[in-house]
Amino acid sequence: MTTHPHTRYRAGVDIGGTFTDLILVDPQTGTFAIAKTLTTPGDPSQAVEIGLRELLQQAQHIAPAQIQHLVHGTTLVTNAIIERKGARTALLATQGFRDAVEIGREQRYELYDLMIEHPKPLAPRYLRFDVPERMLADGSVLEALDVAYVERLASELAQHHIEAVAICFLHSFTNPAHERLAAEVLRRVAPHMRLSLSSEVAPAIREFERTSTTLMNVYVQERVERYLRELQTRLTRLGIGDPDNALLLMLSSGGIATVDTAIKFPVRLLESGPAAGALAAAHVGATCGQPNLLSFDMGGTTAKLCVIADGKPWIAQEFEVDRVYRFKKGSGLPVKIPVIEMIEIGTGGGSLARVDSLGLLKVGPDSAGAAPGPVCYRRGGTQPTVTDADLVLGYLDPQFFLGGRMALDLDSACAAIQTHIAAPLKLSIEEAAWGIHQVANESMANAARVHTLERGKDPHRLPLFVFGGAGPVHAYRVALALGSPSLIAPFGAGVMSTVGFLIAPLAFDFARSAHMLVDEMDWRKAARLLGEMRGEGEALLLASGVPQMHITHTYEIDMRYVGQGHEVRVALTQPMLEGQAVGAITDAFDQVYRALYGRLGPPVPLEIMQWRVLSSGPKPNLSLRVSADGCGDAAFALKHVRRAYFPEARGYLDTPVYDRYRLAMGATLTGPAIVEERESTVIVGPDARCEIDAQRNLVVTL
Amino acid sequence: MNPVILEVMWNRLLSVANEQQNALMRTAFSTIVRESQDLACGVFDTRGLMIAQSLTGTPGHINPMATGAKHFLREFPPHTLRPGDVLITNDPWMTAGQINDFTVMTPVFRGDKIVAYFANCCHAADVGGRVISAEANEVFEEGLRVPLMKLFEAGQPNAALFKIIRANNRLPDETVGDLYAQTACNEVGAHSLLRMMDEFGLDSIDPLAGEIIGRSEAALRAAIRVLPNGRYENEVWSDGFETPIKIAVAVTIQDEDIAIDFAGSSPQSRHGINVVLNYTHGYASFAIKAAIAPEVPHNEGAFRPVQVRAPRGSILNCVEPAAVASRHLVGHFLPGAILGALAPVLPGRLLAGSADPIWMSVWRGQWRNSSKPFMTTLFQLGGMGARETKDGLSTTGFPSGVAGVPAEVIETLTPLVQHRKALRTDSGGAGQMRGGLGQLTEIGCHTDQPWRVTAQIDRTLYASPGLLGGQPGQTGEFLIDAAVRGQPKATVMLAPDARVQLNLPGGGGFGDPRQRAPEQVLNDVVNGYISIEAAARDYGVVVRYLGTPDQLVRLPEHYAI
Repeated sequence: MTTHPHTRYRAGVDIGGTFTDLILVDPQTGTFAIAKTLTTPGDPSQAVEIGLRELLQQAQHIAPAQIQHLVHGTTLVTNAIIERKGARTALLATQGFRDAVEIGREQRYELYDLMIEHPKPLAPRYLRFDVPERMLADGSVLEALDVAYVERLASELAQHHIEAVAICFLHSFTNPAHERLAAEVLRRVAPHMRLSLSSEVAPAIREFERTSTTLMNVYVQERVERYLRELQTRLTRLGIGDPDNALLLMLSSGGIATVDTAIKFPVRLLESGPAAGALAAAHVGATCGQPNLLSFDMGGTTAKLCVIADGKPWIAQEFEVDRVYRFKKGSGLPVKIPVIEMIEIGTGGGSLARVDSLGLLKVGPDSAGAAPGPVCYRRGGTQPTVTDADLVLGYLDPQFFLGGRMALDLDSACAAIQTHIAAPLKLSIEEAAWGIHQVANESMANAARVHTLERGKDPHRLPLFVFGGAGPVHAYRVALALGSPSLIAPFGAGVMSTVGFLIAPLAFDFARSAHMLVDEMDWRKAARLLGEMRGEGEALLLASGVPQMHITHTYEIDMRYVGQGHEVRVALTQPMLEGQAVGAITDAFDQVYRALYGRLGPPVPLEIMQWRVLSSGPKPNLSLRVSADGCGDAAFALKHVRRAYFPEARGYLDTPVYDRYRLAMGATLTGPAIVEERESTVIVGPDARCEIDAQRNLVVTL
Repeated sequence: MNPVILEVMWNRLLSVANEQQNALMRTAFSTIVRESQDLACGVFDTRGLMIAQSLTGTPGHINPMATGAKHFLREFPPHTLRPGDVLITNDPWMTAGQINDFTVMTPVFRGDKIVAYFANCCHAADVGGRVISAEANEVFEEGLRVPLMKLFEAGQPNAALFKIIRANNRLPDETVGDLYAQTACNEVGAHSLLRMMDEFGLDSIDPLAGEIIGRSEAALRAAIRVLPNGRYENEVWSDGFETPIKIAVAVTIQDEDIAIDFAGSSPQSRHGINVVLNYTHGYASFAIKAAIAPEVPHNEGAFRPVQVRAPRGSILNCVEPAAVASRHLVGHFLPGAILGALAPVLPGRLLAGSADPIWMSVWRGQWRNSSKPFMTTLFQLGGMGARETKDGLSTTGFPSGVAGVPAEVIETLTPLVQHRKALRTDSGGAGQMRGGLGQLTEIGCHTDQPWRVTAQIDRTLYASPGLLGGQPGQTGEFLIDAAVRGQPKATVMLAPDARVQLNLPGGGGFGDPRQRAPEQVLNDVVNGYISIEAAARDYGVVVRYLGTPDQLVRLPEHYAI
């Protein structure tokens, strides 16, 4: 990395379950350095410091003070919830509703399975309290807040060292007065108590989901604050630029925020690591002329897929954390926050294969995990996994797994597949292994298909962008199953997700509930609502050091037919607002609705339920300069030939194995082929045409 | 057929049905469909055989929808259908046994050939007649009956039918809005199915359907074969309308067939709690599958090994013109009755008695200072029975698959005010595994005029039974201004300031409560799932509370055994 004493650098850090990945970039030149260290679960900030020291050592001439921003994503919040390692948390609810969060939706999410379980709320029933107060749906007060009760409760909670409290009153998203008053009382009586108000954390209708989200926020808050302050201390000790402003956090929505915002709304850090991966996919897609794509990341236990449309990942408003029953939708705690919409499927390298009672082959969601792991790891696993099948098919090199750091046992993988799959299904070993590989691919492709179609996107038009450890082995077949036009495997899949941290703009999003009929638009009220949110966004961005001229705002509204319960999101443009164009709003709605559901609804009026503003700073302009090593002729990258299974040939083919580091721009090759990097292997089927592009992406045309 | 390819295409069909259901819920108008999911969605082959259904929904809609498909095909053979046609009926005897349930079916054309059908069945917000209740004496009082008809013809709405439906309806926008949603979701499903056929190069899905149905049938038969042959009987009681209703069941296992016979059950009632045979069949076959082979996909093949009989003219096979609106109050008892009968042969998979019928209530009145009427339907769920290895689920529907409605949603759409939605202490039957808890609910109305409620509830007299030493759950209660109502199934006029309490039953317990681990009993007391008195009385665990009487915050450390 070439350096200059005045250059300002940006760093990205992703703390994962096993590894902490770091990247340091010179935004002017695009040169970068990367590091990978083992995560330190006791105090994750330790690994960050170790990694940063390593990075600074690699780039000898960079002074720590030259690091202007360090953007960070973490699984800390997710893990604290799954492992139930948050604070002892109490809930203050409207009289009569302390159990709404446990009663939930009152439904079995699996019709025929009588053994299902529901997740336990983060506040046990003995810490949930009915507070005398009542607000009606229109925001008027039916019963005033009993201040004396709250005072008494506050002092008892403080006395018993309960220092995290969520307040969630009915209809507070319409009128937050009672929540605010209760918070004032609590602060007065117990100044050190941590409070989360549902009207601030998740101001939207449906009490179960809002309460669940608010509880989650305060449950993890102390832990997140302690960690971030510790990290700031370490950064100060390292001598990083301006530690108060240098550290930024990636949010679930893909925006980035200051430490203070992150501490106030820690629930918004959920899944911030995977969010960065999606942003990286969007970024690389844009640099190679593909603003629409499907990103695909497959690890040990799960796979994650995300749609990138017009250069941006989709944002959802709700998801689930900690699914307690076989990864089933409905078995997790609901969270209502903006989040990069990803589908997570219980299919990974460690997923177990078995034959079910119908004599069909099933893969996952049960997983051998890291321990005992696949049979071929020789750590005690006996049931065949996806990785075992990949090995038997010749897709993985027993001697070159993780760049040769771990030897794989082919014989035991074959034996396990023979016993558990091939024999009962009367298939050959390679047919059985191929079956496992294909069933895994299909389950990922199916989930991706439902997800994309549900939102009106055609998977046939979306190139598949693959990264992560196991992804590149499976991507070719997943892409075929989806009917993807092409497959893009970036150079250095290992660093891919950290790039996401460096290309996200500083951004804040706001939402206000305000009901309005489209035919009776109150344009002044609309302008006021949007203006307020815009003002808040601007203030936060200015305070974070973004110059006024670089601030942009986009507007969206959630609309539906009067009487429906779910909305569709429609972009509101400046001309629509200025022209007070009711017709244009209706047209925009019709277009979105028709794309989703094939036809328009009945002849009834339209209504607007939510108003949204996204205020962003400038998008960092980053183009990584990848080294120009290697050669434009694939023949020079040929390492050796290995036998690999391809169903088109109904058997094994002698397949050329290429060294990814020796393939440069312009190199072309034709499948079947295997392209190996240290952390991943790309498999390409017969007759597929591949090319290395200017960014050293491997692009397979399908 | 290659098992791998089959698995792949099968999963695809399931995902297509789920897309269909998602589209239905996202576009629906009534809370019944969009919040409570009182619905079923499925895909059918050209013979009208169900191949796959979506993930949730209710058994009472799924199988009857499948029966409905056969009626549609009989009335509208393929040559009478054109692209853009959409079929509809709510005939209780042809589909879901209740005049509020509209089944909508759409043929899928590939070129000029029908390759499949998509259907769904949803509970409509209103169909005119008496407001849905058990009070009618004939089906004709219960609302507008729509025979097998076209709702859309070649893409154009059947304007006359829509006009008639609107004219006979208290909630025309919601009802018609849902019919549009039911139409759109079939289209979403059809679109995906055609794409799948293109991708796999299929001209017909019938061979695939045959394979799936055949394998499902074989798997269910294999699961039945494991059970010992014999005749297993049981008898359960429902509150009924005026007099209790007996449900007698005999389950005969003969090698790989199961015959379920309801002979000996009460005769059909003069009131609207009668069950058509379709619906009886739906819940009976659901029970068998859930009990012995939950992993076997639900389709035509899973119906075949189960024969269901009920005497004609009995409460479970009623004949016209019986009133049927509240048929679920009897029908929802069937799975519990069957599981109870099979208890001796299902070790390891037992389920104690559950609250069973969903509690459905219809609320009507006027907004404050206005003549604007409101009307809404609520669903509430009691406790599930304990499982052999796990406590019962609290406030979770079984056997129905419907969900509750958030208080904030109810109150946004109506002037109703829900004052309580709380777990009901001591309502779960005691046992080594405790029954799930019911709930205490209280509803008022922010109005200055009289209003009314029509409750359709049960288990106010007969508790959910416990199993193998487990105790029964608590029965339900229907109170107005804290006074018990004698007849819970009739419409009640309410004073403006009245409060209605609907307190739902809990599930039965499993096994001797004295075998329950004392720490679990203590935890139940700390959390108020059971009272300190019940701990001593039912579980033999004496828990002492060490705190002060007026203390609000009572932590586990304030209790000792």
